[in-house]
Amino acid sequence: MEQRIIDFIAGLRAAGVRISIAESADAFRAVGLLGAQDRDRFRVSLRTTLVKEPEDVPTFEQLFPLYFGNDSPPPMASASDELSPDEMDMLAEAIRQFTGKLRDMMERLLNGEQLSREELEQLGQLVGLQRADHPALSQWMAQRMMRALGVPKVRDALEDLWEMLNKLGMNRQTLDRLQDLVQGNMDALEEQLERFAGASIARNLTQEARPEAGPDLMNRPFRHLTDAEAEELRKQMRRLAAQLRSRLALRQKRGKTGVLDAKATIRASLRYGGVPLELRHKQRRLKPKLALICDVSTSMRHCAEFMLTLIYDLQDQVGRARSFAFIGDMEEISGPFSELPTQRAVEQVLTQLPPGYYSTDLGNSLDTFSKRFMDAIDHRTTVIVLGDGRNNYNDPRTDLLEEIKRRSRRIIWLNPEPPTMWGTGDSDMIRYLPIVDSVFEAGNLAQLSYAVDRLLTS
Amino acid sequence: MFNTIEDVKAALTAQEYIASDEIATVLFLAQKLGKPILAEGPAGVGKTELGKAWAAAVGQELIRMQCYEGLDETKALYEWEYAKQMLYTQLLRDKLSQVLADSQSLTEAADRLASEEDVFFSERFLLARPLLKAVRSEQPVVLLIDEIDRTDPEFEAFLLEVLSDFQVSIPELGTLQARHVPGVILTSNNTRELSEALKRRCLYLYIDYPDAEAELQIVRLKVPDLAPKLAKDAVALVQRLRELDMKKRPSISETLDWAKALVMLNADSLDAVTIENTLTVLLKHEADILRARRALSSGRLGNDESGGRSGMVYRGLN
Repeated sequence: MEQRIIDFIAGLRAAGVRISIAESADAFRAVGLLGAQDRDRFRVSLRTTLVKEPEDVPTFEQLFPLYFGNDSPPPMASASDELSPDEMDMLAEAIRQFTGKLRDMMERLLNGEQLSREELEQLGQLVGLQRADHPALSQWMAQRMMRALGVPKVRDALEDLWEMLNKLGMNRQTLDRLQDLVQGNMDALEEQLERFAGASIARNLTQEARPEAGPDLMNRPFRHLTDAEAEELRKQMRRLAAQLRSRLALRQKRGKTGVLDAKATIRASLRYGGVPLELRHKQRRLKPKLALICDVSTSMRHCAEFMLTLIYDLQDQVGRARSFAFIGDMEEISGPFSELPTQRAVEQVLTQLPPGYYSTDLGNSLDTFSKRFMDAIDHRTTVIVLGDGRNNYNDPRTDLLEEIKRRSRRIIWLNPEPPTMWGTGDSDMIRYLPIVDSVFEAGNLAQLSYAVDRLLTS
Repeated sequence: MFNTIEDVKAALTAQEYIASDEIATVLFLAQKLGKPILAEGPAGVGKTELGKAWAAAVGQELIRMQCYEGLDETKALYEWEYAKQMLYTQLLRDKLSQVLADSQSLTEAADRLASEEDVFFSERFLLARPLLKAVRSEQPVVLLIDEIDRTDPEFEAFLLEVLSDFQVSIPELGTLQARHVPGVILTSNNTRELSEALKRRCLYLYIDYPDAEAELQIVRLKVPDLAPKLAKDAVALVQRLRELDMKKRPSISETLDWAKALVMLNADSLDAVTIENTLTVLLKHEADILRARRALSSGRLGNDESGGRSGMVYRGLN
């Protein structure tokens, strides 16, 4: 049992649930107290000690039966118990019509024979079970194994068999019973396959430990990320946001000792007979208002995605954020963020805006922005432009950016390209540069999170 | 102290709290392992109630700390009562000058005063806040830390220290160790991500809306005056309302309010007029009310006998 729980914890970790050593120790203590006889309580004691995020609960519920499922195969019934010797002869004659594998399979279903361990292993090999590494796959794998066993053909053949038995004069009721029995055996077979698939997947998960996104991945340039790596980083985003948040909060706390607040101090001194025992300070905390302008063309996708995720995950540190996306033209994308969890919202926004290769046009987008969205900007707003400044030789419209700068508190530009690339080819970065207040290079996640950290504190 | 999970359930039921098997199991483990419970879930499913019922069930005092933004150590742990200290100093002025009267030099006077310092920095002048109360209590207590997600992250870090070893250091007095490890329950509405360190220390309990059967049981228990048939219909309707895409779904407490309203109005069946008149007790957003009305009038939430089925139909349309 202990080994099984250890495997289960490893499986959960592999599926992306974060479990510390202390937590697994708690799980063992809890199981020690309650035992494993009552399956529901066993499940609850594991879940309450191991899973601390509501999002991870489905993973737990999927994995649990794979590790602590019933090991004995589901029972099957044999036709010989149901039929009289005469009827058995009739069945034997009818089944003689079929040959080869088909007949084997039918007899197996009629006799209620279970698959042996070796047969299961073979089937698993056949359908690629050893590479399945997600709990949700077990049902699909079972169906593939059923198909590999030729079940669809067997079904057709069974229909023929029933017909034939009918012609041979088998009693209607017996025939119904026989049909039910075969169907029952078929279901049991499927269940056996599903359990086997589940157990194998559980084993695969335990063996394959997924590499953590280390500092290496944080420093990998966005444009070189593979899909798998991007996925891995996405999983780390929440933690990164939490880290940034506590850092920000601490800094703001230490930054509280600002200017003396005379009014509040006098008010506080009333308690102590006019002696100013407690000094009150003005809170300097001013949550920034943000307007994000993101280039979401192909080259910028990852960068924009992570940026949006970070900003909206840190929503409580931000007064108000509105975001806009452009490729050829500007559009507001704040909508989904007010309703959906951040990552889902980002996903939705990005799928709604199809990537374009050749059409990036910041000049035109700024034009639209100045006509439609200028109300998003006032003297407290920090404007963040996320883009590589490559305009396909269109007019950069620096005049509009200057207009925006005049109305806003400041403009910050995040560029995924290194400074040496600015101004080369169709890059208008050099021309935007004098207008903006500060520029950060944000070519990878480490640089991006540094930039976000800076921009939310200053 | 409970010996079995059944004990927990029975004790909570005696406090009019219907606990699922899961809740009872977690509570049992929390007592046995001496770990805090972190209860999360939508608002109004009885997280705070659980804390109260727990305290009542074990017959211990409940110390409640309501969290809010800006809550700090002086409000949560302790504070020196400056005003009282000041008052004492002034009232004791004569005595003080007596004590200091025969001192030869300023240094000697200061020394003498210093030796009496303990008078002014004793527990007498310590204003104990909930956390310190829980630590100093002679009797075992249950500590309810409500809506922890409303505090600032740095307070969470501070709380972590207290929760891990249940001791508090006060520079002037030294370290106070808890006489009993209190039962601790933290609730959160999940408005913000809590730190992983805090979650690691706790047993996690997600309390969701109850199923129809459990909810009916709760309504029967808390509003016994409501006719059984009506209670059943009302709970079925609430359950189906929760399946709609609402800004704020009706919680258990709202179901109870509604049930009470139905009793007040002497309603004998859930007809359209009654529902129309009382819907605002259940739903608190204009948009939600409109949506519910639309669904009701289109018959998708109709209050027919085949309650379960029409719910299914609606889910299908969704």
